[in-house]
Amino acid sequence: MPDPPHQDCTNPLWPCAMTGAVACLAGFDDLAVIVHGSSGCYFYPASLLTAPLHGTFLVENEIIFGTEERLREVIDTVAGTREHVAVVTTCVPAILGEDLAGVAHDRDLLLVDAPGFLGDLEAGYHAALEAIRPAVDPNRPGVNIDGICLLDPFCRGNIQEAQRLLTAAGGAVGTTFCSGPLGAAGRAAPFTVGTNPDLASGVGEWCGSLLGLDAVAETFERLAATCDGIDPSPVAHEIAEAEKRIEKACDKYLRRFEPPRVAVFGECAYAAYAAETLERYLDAEIACICSRNRPASPRRRIEQTTDFSRISELITAGEPDLIIGSSYEQTVRPEAAFVPLTPPVRGRVLLHARPLAGIEGTLRLLDDVLNACMDLRQSSGSQRPE
Amino acid sequence: MNSMPSPSNPSRYEGCTLTGALAVVTQVRDAACIIHGPAGCTHHNFSLLHATLLGNDTAAIPRLISTRLGENEIIFGGEDALERCIARVHEAPPAPAAIFVLSTCIVETIGDDTAAVCARGWETPVIPIRTSGFLGGVFQTGFVGALLAAGTLAEQGSGQREGVTLIGEKNLEYDVDENYAEVVRLLAYLDLAVNLRFVRDTDTAALSRLGTGAFNILREPALREVGEALHRRHGTPFIDSFPVGLAGTLRFLREAGKLTGRDTRDAVREEEAYQEEMLAAFADLAGARVRFDRLSPLLEEDAAAGEVVAELAAALDLRVAQDGIPLPPPYPAPVGTAGVRRLLHRWRRAIRTNGRRSF
Repeated sequence: MPDPPHQDCTNPLWPCAMTGAVACLAGFDDLAVIVHGSSGCYFYPASLLTAPLHGTFLVENEIIFGTEERLREVIDTVAGTREHVAVVTTCVPAILGEDLAGVAHDRDLLLVDAPGFLGDLEAGYHAALEAIRPAVDPNRPGVNIDGICLLDPFCRGNIQEAQRLLTAAGGAVGTTFCSGPLGAAGRAAPFTVGTNPDLASGVGEWCGSLLGLDAVAETFERLAATCDGIDPSPVAHEIAEAEKRIEKACDKYLRRFEPPRVAVFGECAYAAYAAETLERYLDAEIACICSRNRPASPRRRIEQTTDFSRISELITAGEPDLIIGSSYEQTVRPEAAFVPLTPPVRGRVLLHARPLAGIEGTLRLLDDVLNACMDLRQSSGSQRPE
Repeated sequence: MNSMPSPSNPSRYEGCTLTGALAVVTQVRDAACIIHGPAGCTHHNFSLLHATLLGNDTAAIPRLISTRLGENEIIFGGEDALERCIARVHEAPPAPAAIFVLSTCIVETIGDDTAAVCARGWETPVIPIRTSGFLGGVFQTGFVGALLAAGTLAEQGSGQREGVTLIGEKNLEYDVDENYAEVVRLLAYLDLAVNLRFVRDTDTAALSRLGTGAFNILREPALREVGEALHRRHGTPFIDSFPVGLAGTLRFLREAGKLTGRDTRDAVREEEAYQEEMLAAFADLAGARVRFDRLSPLLEEDAAAGEVVAELAAALDLRVAQDGIPLPPPYPAPVGTAGVRRLLHRWRRAIRTNGRRSF
């Protein structure tokens, strides 16, 4: 049940296409990203992303007389700082009808038209990916990793975990979308695995997702069948060991406590994965699953909304004792246990790399859930864990 | 990191009029704010406000409604979407006591007549605020525009004048309530109470008290335009700034006394003694070699903050030198004696951690 198109929305909780495009491009470490727009548009992604960003910081006169000169000035300044330069247009410059391609003359410049009104974060991320023009090099060994986005609190952890699993299976890492050098996007390996299917690159042959233990097992079976040099058995062995530990911990929890009643919020694939994992291992009752973005195809039980008033209604009606989502949802029902799944995550220090994908991702998710639920029981004082 | 910091055109970096206006009108708790533009503009600002509110231990969530314009409305116009949105906000509970309608840079560019839609005879006051992003202003422009717009909800001043009205507190600053507490402490010397915080954590009914204070205190001189407008409308005199620094705090007491016909000599003496006692607690800083770097090339220098730095360096016998320990310059300038004390704790921490060998 998606938000009706072009209907107003209270306190929308998800960033715009411009932010998505910037988050995509800023992942490449040799690419200088320029936000072509006002300081107001610049400050938002600049405050969220842990990457250097540039801006044209347009003023009214430049809208009247043209923005090209200002853009050229900023490009000249940043051109020496990185090997490549990308320009992301914001709403007003996007409708001025200027030929910014002229500015790019004789330059290695990537122009991405991703005004906020184009849509949500995913729309901008995909527009940026398209502008990169990724290509497969059929002779390149390895497996690509996609779904990486700097806005994601699990970004670094997912890269590390996907790399670890591929290495454990005897494979090599191809291109990471979007991280590392930009040039690698033009010579991607023929096979790809994903850490977040909502941000799938569409590059190479899709071999599956790394969200959840079953998905990891299936993906590595598929890789073994299609890609030379991949041995799935070390990964399968690790999954079996991980599953034993999970079952033991969850069984111990369920001996004393009722399963949690859970409300899950996040990008579609993340939210579905979290809900399925908790149902499977903790017999959790699912109060609701809400997706920030529009699923590629309608999914049972998942409501798409970014409207905070609707989300508040669902939380109030569902009375979950565990919320998996962002700080927004946490503020609606602060008495519930909380596990972060989607930005923003406020009031917590998140220094080390946390995966959500892969085997370690599932272990970490269940660690966080079990600890949060036990903390809740302890603070309520009615029941204490063994 | 950003490019082209150009002091010759600081308005490039001074943010969005929409953010400035929302910093004011979201503090009218029973009002709704419609932001006419793409959903992203509302999200960016909601995210900022949410973070700020959490940082200030405030649970109240402002109600921001986006008309959520898409590509179609950008091409064919968004006035119909705005009209539908205003109607829906009227219908959807909780009924707002007032509706502020804020425009964005993109609707300004496509030429939507937001004010005309707001003037279509709605049941509830629907107040347009022209906040066209970076077109026609910066953060401060939006802030001032929103104060003036919120002021239209107040009736013309009448009745007995009592208490003091605070104008334009910086709702996004981390120590906004600590600064308020300091002003309350100082006013208590003169038996003056706060009549209204215009606009912080209030409601539409309370705004009717806007013209009933004995005098107004502006948060900073940049709000003189608002002070003068309120003086014209309600006849209320004003002090043009919260007390800043040590001498500024004493001056503030004298000005407040002058406006209310009170003798301030005892109050000033008492506060002076308090300031001396406070400074004595930082006597160990005497002789430290320090420097004050510019906070950011994007920010304009704050003249009042510069005066406070000079005042404190002299009072504490700090040696300002190029190779000194870098200290955080006050931004904005510290409010009252309590604000100075908090600043000095931060300076002492920096001196202790960065430069023991300089002693």
